[in-house]
Amino acid sequence: MDETMKTLSRRNFLKASAAAMTTAAGVPALKGLVSTGHAAAPAPQAGPITDHFTACDMCFNRCGMIARVQNGRVIKLDPNPKFLKSRGMLCARGNAATAHIYDPDRLKHPLLRKGARGEGKWQRITWDQALDHAAEQFERIAEKYTRCGVMFSPGSDMQSQFLIRFAEVFGSYNITSHETLCLLSLHRAYLDTFGETPYPDVLYSKYIIISGANPYEAIITPDTIDLMEARKNGCKLVVLDPRYTKTAALADEWYAIRPHTDMAFFLALAHVIIHEGLYDQQYAEEMLFGLDELRAHVRKYTPEWAAGETGIPADDIRRIARELAAAAPTSMVYTGRRTSDYEDSTQIRRSMAIVNALLANWDRPGGILAAREVGVRAPYFDIPWYDDNPDDRIDYGMAPGLIHHEGSYKLMRDAIIKGEPYPIRGWFTFKTNFMQTAANRNKTIEMLDHLDFIVNADIAMTDTAWYSDLLLPSPSFLERNDPVSALQGSSACACAIWRDAVVPAMYESRDMLWICTELSKRLGFPETFDFDIHQYREWQLAGIPEAAQAIKEDGVYYNPSKVYGIYADSPLRTQAQKIELFNQRYANMGLDPMPVYKPPRPTEGKFRMVVGRTAFFTHSNTNNALLIEFEEENTLWIHPEPATRMGLRDGERVFVTSDVAQVELALKFFEGIEKETVYMATGFGALSPGQRLVHNRGASIAEVLEDHADYITGNMAMHETLVTVSRKVG
Amino acid sequence: MKKYAMVVDSSVCIDCKGCMVSCKVQNNVPRGYWRNWIKQTTPDFSLGKLTRTHFQPGGCMQCDVPTCVQACPSGATFKDQETGIVHVNESLCIGCGKCVRACPYGARFRHPEKRVPDKCDFCFSAGRLAQGIPPACVDTCPTKARVFGDLNDPDSEVSRLLRDNHTVRVTSANIDTQPNIFYLAATEPANWPGDVEFPQSFSVMASLVNPLVKVAVGLSALGVAGMWAKQAFAPDSEDDEQGPEASHPEPTVSKQD
Repeated sequence: MDETMKTLSRRNFLKASAAAMTTAAGVPALKGLVSTGHAAAPAPQAGPITDHFTACDMCFNRCGMIARVQNGRVIKLDPNPKFLKSRGMLCARGNAATAHIYDPDRLKHPLLRKGARGEGKWQRITWDQALDHAAEQFERIAEKYTRCGVMFSPGSDMQSQFLIRFAEVFGSYNITSHETLCLLSLHRAYLDTFGETPYPDVLYSKYIIISGANPYEAIITPDTIDLMEARKNGCKLVVLDPRYTKTAALADEWYAIRPHTDMAFFLALAHVIIHEGLYDQQYAEEMLFGLDELRAHVRKYTPEWAAGETGIPADDIRRIARELAAAAPTSMVYTGRRTSDYEDSTQIRRSMAIVNALLANWDRPGGILAAREVGVRAPYFDIPWYDDNPDDRIDYGMAPGLIHHEGSYKLMRDAIIKGEPYPIRGWFTFKTNFMQTAANRNKTIEMLDHLDFIVNADIAMTDTAWYSDLLLPSPSFLERNDPVSALQGSSACACAIWRDAVVPAMYESRDMLWICTELSKRLGFPETFDFDIHQYREWQLAGIPEAAQAIKEDGVYYNPSKVYGIYADSPLRTQAQKIELFNQRYANMGLDPMPVYKPPRPTEGKFRMVVGRTAFFTHSNTNNALLIEFEEENTLWIHPEPATRMGLRDGERVFVTSDVAQVELALKFFEGIEKETVYMATGFGALSPGQRLVHNRGASIAEVLEDHADYITGNMAMHETLVTVSRKVG
Repeated sequence: MKKYAMVVDSSVCIDCKGCMVSCKVQNNVPRGYWRNWIKQTTPDFSLGKLTRTHFQPGGCMQCDVPTCVQACPSGATFKDQETGIVHVNESLCIGCGKCVRACPYGARFRHPEKRVPDKCDFCFSAGRLAQGIPPACVDTCPTKARVFGDLNDPDSEVSRLLRDNHTVRVTSANIDTQPNIFYLAATEPANWPGDVEFPQSFSVMASLVNPLVKVAVGLSALGVAGMWAKQAFAPDSEDDEQGPEASHPEPTVSKQD
């Protein structure tokens, strides 16, 4: 998409506007008289501004953007008004992408580690040397430890699919990404209830309960925008969160629920809806499997009982259940985000999915929807067989509900440290920063000691890059041509996009397709990457030939596919072919077929640490000159009551100690946090001096979090850490 | 002739700060300073489940009675009759800082490098309006809390909103500046605007003396040179160093319909 939408000579425009201003001031003669000072300084030669469609990459949402380029430099990013998924908006992060790509801390050329890991001694090498070295190391590891001896972490980038293709052809099953720290428990729970991971039709809903998620702050397009639009149309919003988030601040009702008791609340909702007969009987007969079992199961989970667990009054629970049912099927329990929380997070999400099932909102307006068809294909490739490889991924069988193409970073890390069931000695990471995002940073460092070779491709010197052996500088999303990506934009759209380079790749950065192509030549499977980006896109769009033109013209293609009633004539993809309130497979595997509530372990004077998001940072992507102005250093949020009782003062520096680490940061008194809960933002206390804005500033939550996991999926459980808070002495 | 205005539905602001960053990038606003902002109320947690926070976006109010224009001795700050936008003609500014203190909204700051006042001009000088695209803050807003347009055009979105809705103008207690940012829905500003720092004698000077000064400036190249020198060496007062978040000591709020 090299074409230009519109151009405007900025120079002529400025001349005109200056003239207009002078005239308006009523002093037309004055301009000529004022010839000294900065007004006389010659303006830099400014070229025309050209506009280019692209899609944001500051988080994974991929909002539609127009990049405004002048003199080969991106000067401004604006929303693409035709982009329905992001509804013509761009958040603070998207706007700050200029500071991301022109970050002085960017990796500029391939670097090879010289000193000890983490010592920061690097040698600049050429790309040829870097690729030769990487290929040599991969081959050496493959020979000695099999091809599964290399772990791949492809990130969530539009080019990640190339690294996955590379890993599979290279022969490693050990692929894991950010997802295993994120929402696999959500996927599992809904796959095991509805047979599919749904997306919420927030826009048309009339009553929404959000538990833990924070869409007004941890921006998800289109849910964030739709939630406001829905509320303008009378949708009621109830938020459960131990922390007073912006979503809580704007909700109709906010409950500072005790952490780890959400399941009690949802089982009580199910209790009320079933025992008061508030569900659609005919729908239940046709669509629900195991209602009788559920009825018996939730008998004891009364609102009065749940009140004792959650801290939410029984009357409120009963009223909310009735209101929710009255609005059904145009009501919902919001499905997503912040679902990697507890050791039983899959079962917690199952309890929410069951309430959704009782609301009969599946595949209906204002409810939870099946994925729409976009038509983008994944190009086929042959995966070769390597005889000496082990039978399966390293974490196989370690969690009963492992999602096999993602695995579990937490379980893989444990297996690597143990060296069992087989050794992994290499790691290829692309645009992920497990050192700052995965719980128990010290354990990640321990894992590195078991690895012979770590190669990291990224735009910046993240903590993960800092501890790597070989660094491959990547272009930013505005400097490369990306394959087609399919996106769901709620009921409004199912769309396809691609990105073309808006400005040339800076420094010596090279994209992942190029890296995989070059490495595949060196490793003896050049035919795997025997294509360029344009050919690849053609393959991807073979089923929707009209898409390419639309993407060129508008930056996006919309598929007019069916929105509601997708499953009207076909059975669900579950064992019962219905919505499984009672999961038969779980019963066979010895898991609870329905969610059984287990109370949180007592805090015993400690605090439960929770994670959360702000509207201006994405995870550890904090080293941004524009965004850091909103929060220069993270603080520990604590309720003033327990803190004062402990003799602590607002703003003082404290030690926060868990079973795995001790960190130091400043306290922030805030009444908007449950009294047994503390919170700190992600992405501070970076080890890498290459992240100058956050290096040693505040503390790293990844360091203090203990590495618990959901026992069904192996998904990292981020809310299971209990910490003590104590005054920093001296 | 246009009269640009902004209508803000602060009930839908989610405090994402998109407008602040978009403005900063578009107008090259230096670190530590902002041309626009989102203010918020302090939540009252004794309300329990009903605890709320109200977020309120703002920026230069482009007042019809602009106290900054009255306070400016050199005519550098002026209200453009063609657009209704209050501008700063940097080449006329003597750097006295009076306009910064005269703004009850804290919407002006002294640019640390250029040594002249800086403020929102609805992205006029950035060229957005000429290109037919809305100001950066409006364009980027996820929930479209900010709506921009021409009040003189009865078909514009802002005119329609003003016609169809109850609106509020946030003004200073001691002078109604008749701002052109209108707020829809109940608006609960947090400790702003402040007073106009503006001695009584000053209005006389503004209406009588300043025009004379302006003529003098226009006629005397020497005077202009002198003022440039003054500007170049003008020390920063503490007030000037603060961004628009700086509030005045005795905040007063008055609303008018």
